[in-house]
Amino acid sequence: MIRSLKVAVFLAYKGIVRANIGVTFLTVFILVLVALNLMFVPGLINGITDSANEKLINTYSSHLVIEAQGLKDQGYKITHVKNLLTSIESINGVEAVAARNSVGTNISFKDESNNERKINCMVYGIVPEEEMKVFEVSEWLVEGSYLDNRDRDKILLGIQLAGAGQSDVELFSHSLRDVHAGDKVTVTYNNGYTKQYTVKGIFHTRFIQTDLQAFVTQLEYESIIPDTHDTASELHVRLDNNADPLEIMRRIAMFNSGVDFQTWQQNAGIVNSMTTSFQLINAILDVVNALVAGITIFIVTYVDVMNKRRQIGIQRAIGIKNHAIIFSYLLRALGYLIVGLLVARSLFIWVIMPFEASHPFYFPFGAVYLSLELPLLIRTTALLLAISIVAAFIPVMLITRIKILDAIWG
Amino acid sequence: MIEIHNLTKIYRNGILELRALDDVSFSVPTGDMVCIMGKSGSGKSTLLRQLGLLDRPTTGEIILDDISVTKLSDDVTSTLRLERLGYIFQEYALLAELTAHENVFLPGMMLSNEGVDYEKRAKELLETVGLGKRIHHYPKELSGGEQQRVAIARALINSPQVIFADEPCANLDTISSRLVMETLINLNKDTSVTIVFVSHDPDDKQYARNLVVLSDGKLVLDEQ
Repeated sequence: MIRSLKVAVFLAYKGIVRANIGVTFLTVFILVLVALNLMFVPGLINGITDSANEKLINTYSSHLVIEAQGLKDQGYKITHVKNLLTSIESINGVEAVAARNSVGTNISFKDESNNERKINCMVYGIVPEEEMKVFEVSEWLVEGSYLDNRDRDKILLGIQLAGAGQSDVELFSHSLRDVHAGDKVTVTYNNGYTKQYTVKGIFHTRFIQTDLQAFVTQLEYESIIPDTHDTASELHVRLDNNADPLEIMRRIAMFNSGVDFQTWQQNAGIVNSMTTSFQLINAILDVVNALVAGITIFIVTYVDVMNKRRQIGIQRAIGIKNHAIIFSYLLRALGYLIVGLLVARSLFIWVIMPFEASHPFYFPFGAVYLSLELPLLIRTTALLLAISIVAAFIPVMLITRIKILDAIWG
Repeated sequence: MIEIHNLTKIYRNGILELRALDDVSFSVPTGDMVCIMGKSGSGKSTLLRQLGLLDRPTTGEIILDDISVTKLSDDVTSTLRLERLGYIFQEYALLAELTAHENVFLPGMMLSNEGVDYEKRAKELLETVGLGKRIHHYPKELSGGEQQRVAIARALINSPQVIFADEPCANLDTISSRLVMETLINLNKDTSVTIVFVSHDPDDKQYARNLVVLSDGKLVLDEQ
């Protein structure tokens, strides 16, 4: 066996070194295209899901959402929030925690022509200082500025509510359309209380569910909704990268057993169904791409082997064992594949990804960047290796089965 | 000793049937130098290919040193070709991707008998056939006669018991032909290797000690 391996390695090496440069280039080029095809679409889909998930975590849900057990609209709230926040922050793996109170409202705006527009939305009472540690909403302001802890009579609006004169916003026709920072809007809370607010800022995170939110300070909220001091409708917890959410949930439950947890995945809603759909599309494309890759590599190898039919016949005639010949062609195919993969990977990382990063694809939740994660790279490599081995094995095996004289003279 | 008993080879193509060898029997003693002659289409090359285990006869038997080799598996015949037989093709049949030196030592590398330095032996064999200075040349850089001598060196690398040569001079000029035939004669004399060669040139029978003549696939002469 070692002798056969030695001969196979020798023949494969000589075959590659002495091969026609044009044919080698074409073979590697085709393999590069096949590999890029296998990287690009999953890379894009990974980028879309990564980007959507990142937006979801950074602007809408955080890693972990804690709610009081029971229905929110029936007034179930988390109590003794200050103590709970301190306890949660002390847990190893927790980066920050923010408490929110929420209430249903109606917001109206009268423009210069005295036309009034109204929308229904949730208004959240937040502590801006806490909020900025958990969410990135403050980084997506398109007008005005973010709330301060002590702000009163001021409101922060998402662009899907304000409109801000940007008719290309997805829900512009349902928004207040032309509200800008500094404008006055009237908020009617579901307890009947009505108050005028100055719009302090407008944010556009490009994540629609976030951009449909409005914020006032907790100080303001407590002045409108009674009995909400030191309470929260929900707590949002930001975790370290390596934190174990299950362990953290277990420890939080020890501080307060009357709470429910939702991970960001459970809280994803529409994003979840979108990423599930994309993963399904990805799986279908994977099968199609694998078939295309298999057929392409098979054709390339088949043509190569057919051109070497006489050489294979001679090798058999002089006593080279069939398995050594088959193995030499497998090694050749793998050699071409490895070069193809390396070139494709280099092109992807150093040319395509930087180019795409400077000209990103835009989706409703923002720019999407190609992503080449290790599992994708391993999967692509393993898939192409398996395909190459099968695609090279079949034609060589067929030739080693025909009569030696037929192989030499056809 | 090679014994050939009632060897018949029939090629079939649909309803057409061609009897290339018809009940051929003869024997080749060890160390002999046999020339198989006959007109074009007489079955010379077909016979040699059966003897060289490159093809299987339709009926009949070939016995090589008391072993019947006609019904052995492909793997075993491959081993026999590697260990005991050397085959020289009319068209040289060198591997284009390998140098003269590599062409010669490749079967040695496959056999890998302990204690034998095949690369060194290949070099020596190429020197023996007068190609010591062309060992790193590729087949396309060699003349027909030189390629045929590389093929002879390759056939010798594993010290075979028998060398089969299929019209080794068919594509060569007179000088190259003489060089090739002299190389084979010297090998036969020096190493006692059995040589069976095919030729259609009546002048070549001078090189043989034993002559086999075929006509229409039948043995018509077997003379010492």
